[in-house]
Amino acid sequence: MAVMQFREALRAAMTEEMERDDGVFLIGEEVAQYNGAYKVSEGMLDRFGKDRIIDTPISEAAFSGLGIGAAMSGLRPIVEFMSWSFTLVCLDQLVNNAANVRYMSGGQYRVPIVFRGGNGIAHQLAATHSHRMESVYSRIPGLIVVCPSTPAEAKGLLKSSIRCDDPVIFLESEKMLSEKGEVPDESSFTLPLGVADVEREGSHVTIVSYGRPVQRVVRPAVDALVNEHGISVELINLRTLRPLDTQTIINSVKKTNRCVIVDEDWGYCGMGAGILQKIQKPLFDYLDAPIEYVHSDEIPVPFNHYLEEAMMPSVDRIVAAAKEVCYA
Amino acid sequence: MPAEITMPQLSDTMTEGTLIKWNKKEGDKVKAGEEVADVETDKATMPLESYDGGTIAYIAVQEGGKVAVGSLVAVIAKGSENPAEIKAKYAAGGNAKPAAPAAAPLARAAESAPAAQPDKVTATATLVAASRGEIHEPDGVGHGATREASHPVPPLPQAKGNGESHRVRVSPLAKRIATENKLDLSRVPGSGPEGRIVQRDVLSYLENGGGKESAASAPAATPVVLSGEKQVITLTKMRTAIAAALLRSKQTVPHFYETIDIDVTDLSQLRERLNKRLEKEKVRLSLADFITKAVASTLIQHPALNARFNSEKGEITRYGDVNLGIAVSVPDGLIVPVLRGVNLLGLKEIRARSEDLIKRGRDQRLKREEMSEATFTISSLGTFGIRDFSAIINPPEVGILAVGAAEKRAVVKGDAIVIRTMMSVTLSCDHRVVDGATAADFLRSLKETLEEPGMLLV
Repeated sequence: MAVMQFREALRAAMTEEMERDDGVFLIGEEVAQYNGAYKVSEGMLDRFGKDRIIDTPISEAAFSGLGIGAAMSGLRPIVEFMSWSFTLVCLDQLVNNAANVRYMSGGQYRVPIVFRGGNGIAHQLAATHSHRMESVYSRIPGLIVVCPSTPAEAKGLLKSSIRCDDPVIFLESEKMLSEKGEVPDESSFTLPLGVADVEREGSHVTIVSYGRPVQRVVRPAVDALVNEHGISVELINLRTLRPLDTQTIINSVKKTNRCVIVDEDWGYCGMGAGILQKIQKPLFDYLDAPIEYVHSDEIPVPFNHYLEEAMMPSVDRIVAAAKEVCYA
Repeated sequence: MPAEITMPQLSDTMTEGTLIKWNKKEGDKVKAGEEVADVETDKATMPLESYDGGTIAYIAVQEGGKVAVGSLVAVIAKGSENPAEIKAKYAAGGNAKPAAPAAAPLARAAESAPAAQPDKVTATATLVAASRGEIHEPDGVGHGATREASHPVPPLPQAKGNGESHRVRVSPLAKRIATENKLDLSRVPGSGPEGRIVQRDVLSYLENGGGKESAASAPAATPVVLSGEKQVITLTKMRTAIAAALLRSKQTVPHFYETIDIDVTDLSQLRERLNKRLEKEKVRLSLADFITKAVASTLIQHPALNARFNSEKGEITRYGDVNLGIAVSVPDGLIVPVLRGVNLLGLKEIRARSEDLIKRGRDQRLKREEMSEATFTISSLGTFGIRDFSAIINPPEVGILAVGAAEKRAVVKGDAIVIRTMMSVTLSCDHRVVDGATAADFLRSLKETLEEPGMLLV
């Protein structure tokens, strides 16, 4: 085990996979000469050369399309977006091409590609650069959507994503890149896609979350609930949003009878709303309270630091929701 | 076609009627609208009126006879019809309708009533006294829709009791556990929001021997103990605590009681005026809020009663703020949430806070500190119409005020008897530390304040 930053874990995953497979390459804005807008690819140009670490013009539609073409031709591209908010300009490439080529070609083409970059609210980037794109991509058949919340998950899940034969939407957070954590060293380490992690076992309430809020507010809220309120929490970190590990959630809530979903998306048609739709029927007879969904307020994301904080899920909001479903 | 007189439904709850007295006998002439008999219903004795004119051919129910609503009572021969033939036919059971069920003949009458077959209408009878104001047509012709409207209506089938008002709020999990244990959820008190029955309610109910001995603790259904049976009830925790506390109080605190009548006529009018002004804010002050306010302000003037007594130390502690306990009944018990610093609160705040405390109290969601450290308590049974009662002190407090109903009474004012809205309150005091005159002083101040609520401003 080595303690490394989230960005280092991502770099380690890409480096290991590029060494393992000549077909893997990295393409995106500033990934080569500048060593990455967020220094994720630092040193990779020196190591792998300009044929495999490729800078692009500022045109997401062009370089994501280029990546899809390369993937259809047998390579395994990693396409880095500076922000997932920018993929609104290449939605056609991701949704119509990446997600559908395999289906539309009757299986003649596969699209083994990873699109990765920072997603969600990353501190004072304002309304247009703070989009949480997970609910947009998680609803598209043909895509796999992955969202790590620790450096170890970043490495293990990214390696599996690169090896995956279908297009993977890999959602990071600019705010997490400097977070440190223990990461297994061995190059054989991977984490399976489509499998949620029961981070903590508990008996009173199941909290379901993923990505940055797990680290930012959910784990502190769980500590408060357990230590200050005597509520035993089972924490499920989803890791993959599509395909959703529905069974792990169901098994957990059948045990706890109460469920709180937390994300930073907007509530209406949000990621949590989609999760709720998948579990409420199988869980209906097991619920002692309505499922609570803690999400961001439904407003454009404010630039102001305090307003931005206020619109996002907080420890207090999660504690209150958990207490409510526990009637505590 | 002879006209039948059937037993009408003369009240909403009537299912059968007793024929008390016939005014006519067979062979007598009757006019349309004439009262032919007296009928006793479940509520009163009322005259039975014939819709049709003619000759009474056959009397099917003798005096003292009891028949279901809609059953044949008599038959009238109209025009040239032969009463003897009709009687023979009916007496033999020819056209006679069965005596029950009550609804059937009327229903048929309604179906066949439209003008297409006017002479097939089954005439019925109505009651002058029971008339709902419709004017009945005088004769057997053209018994159309207007007639039907005034026909007595057959009773509706008994409601099954599954209406929204009977809906039991229950979480799906609690429902499943109840089903698995064959538990009647209407007996389980719910502790969730709006009384929702949740897992812990069902589990604790089952733990306490659910559905058998502890049935009496359920609020939803008043358990009936059948004749020849008996029922043993294990006290709930709350009941046990109440029993111990009240016994201790009555055994160790020497109570004495003083009652005073208070004229709240002006106060009631003030309340109405204020409520009109507060309508926009959706605030509705209750009489209890004014009493709370007045008691708090009076207690500040009489600190001897706004106190707690530690008998072991021989100390009385008087308080500069009023923490007012308000006795609230809950299923199988009572709780006393405490309005803190009520002497500093306005009426709107008193209303909002007491509503909140009482609601959460009934939902069993009060925190311990919201039920402790009262300096005085009010108990009111006014809404039950109780005029006057004596309450048991909640030690270490030294007094409790029992508030009766505000009601109109005849009172002597000067030398005249006038109608005033009056309310009696009874103060219970701990005679170890409060004397009769002290208590009387307090009551006099309270009376002055409530009779002249402007004093609250002073």
